[in-house]
Amino acid sequence: MGPENDVARLRRGDMDALSALISRYQNRLYRYLLRLVREPAEAEDLFQQTWLRVVEKIRSFDPSRNFDAWLFIVARNLAIDRLRRIHPESLDEPILEGFPGGTAMDRLASKEPAAIDRVLERERSSRLTTALTVLPVPYREVLTLRFEEEMKLEEIAQVLGVPLSTVKSRLRRSLEQLRRCLETRYPGESWQ
Amino acid sequence: MNDHDAIRRMLALAAAGALEPDEERRVAAHVQSCASCAAELEEWQIVAGGLRRLPTPQPPASLVERARARAEARLAEEAEYRLHRGVMVFLVFFAWALTLMSWPLVRLVSGGLLGLLDPRLNQAWVGFAAFTTFVWLGGGTAAVLLSLRQRRERSLA
Repeated sequence: MGPENDVARLRRGDMDALSALISRYQNRLYRYLLRLVREPAEAEDLFQQTWLRVVEKIRSFDPSRNFDAWLFIVARNLAIDRLRRIHPESLDEPILEGFPGGTAMDRLASKEPAAIDRVLERERSSRLTTALTVLPVPYREVLTLRFEEEMKLEEIAQVLGVPLSTVKSRLRRSLEQLRRCLETRYPGESWQ
Repeated sequence: MNDHDAIRRMLALAAAGALEPDEERRVAAHVQSCASCAAELEEWQIVAGGLRRLPTPQPPASLVERARARAEARLAEEAEYRLHRGVMVFLVFFAWALTLMSWPLVRLVSGGLLGLLDPRLNQAWVGFAAFTTFVWLGGGTAAVLLSLRQRRERSLA
């Protein structure tokens, strides 16, 4: 069952509906924010800000639209604003392909594991997660939306605010860079 | 770019399930006869499969509870704000209606019934209208400024 009923109730100010929506989306939303900003503390703050923004804006939400995409747009806007203040260069999509790619911040991050890795390693140390983490923001964002959130390409285009063709090309470049990253970091090893 | 190269560029997207149906058919047909592309597609499928199976980081329970409590408090504030706004709009219209209704009453008391039919704007009428407008504009401006300040303080809280 979709979230439409809870969204309609929330628009009428129903607190139970708010609670139900938070429970429904807590894991997906937190994962998405964590993939974007990498730092758990930042992700936690953004998680709270996102729900505050949802409450403030829910009456302007068009119920005929996809709530998932709308929620992720709200979260993304907050995260991008935060990243823009902290590491504006991290938002650039790399022009040159190849690993180490992207920005100076990403290259620095690849030498020393980010805090997100320490958290995730407690659950399951994953080379793939590490490789994903060091990718530039636009790349890891599109990968998490496609493979973890399992969004359709049209939904991803909505969230990112870009044409479908851009989503496809970004997705392809992201996968290529991820694979190069894996092969560079773990040469000759099985990383699956 | 020949067909082999074009197909090869599609393999990553094929593993991501991001090809159009006709492109998918082209890729499927090609890998049947090209061992190199079949192996490459398998590599991409391993990458894609690994991404789909990544563990989901769980938000701390305390975070969810904090977010829930703050969002519920904000929801209550929003409801209160809307109620106040509705009451204020009603009171403004009610007060204006009373004001407008009081004008003919004043005329009735001061000038008699025939005075109501007098279209001339005498000085008392203009003065009364100007005074009322000034008071309402002043009060309205103060109310708007207070409301904006309250919202700003709430957003900073």
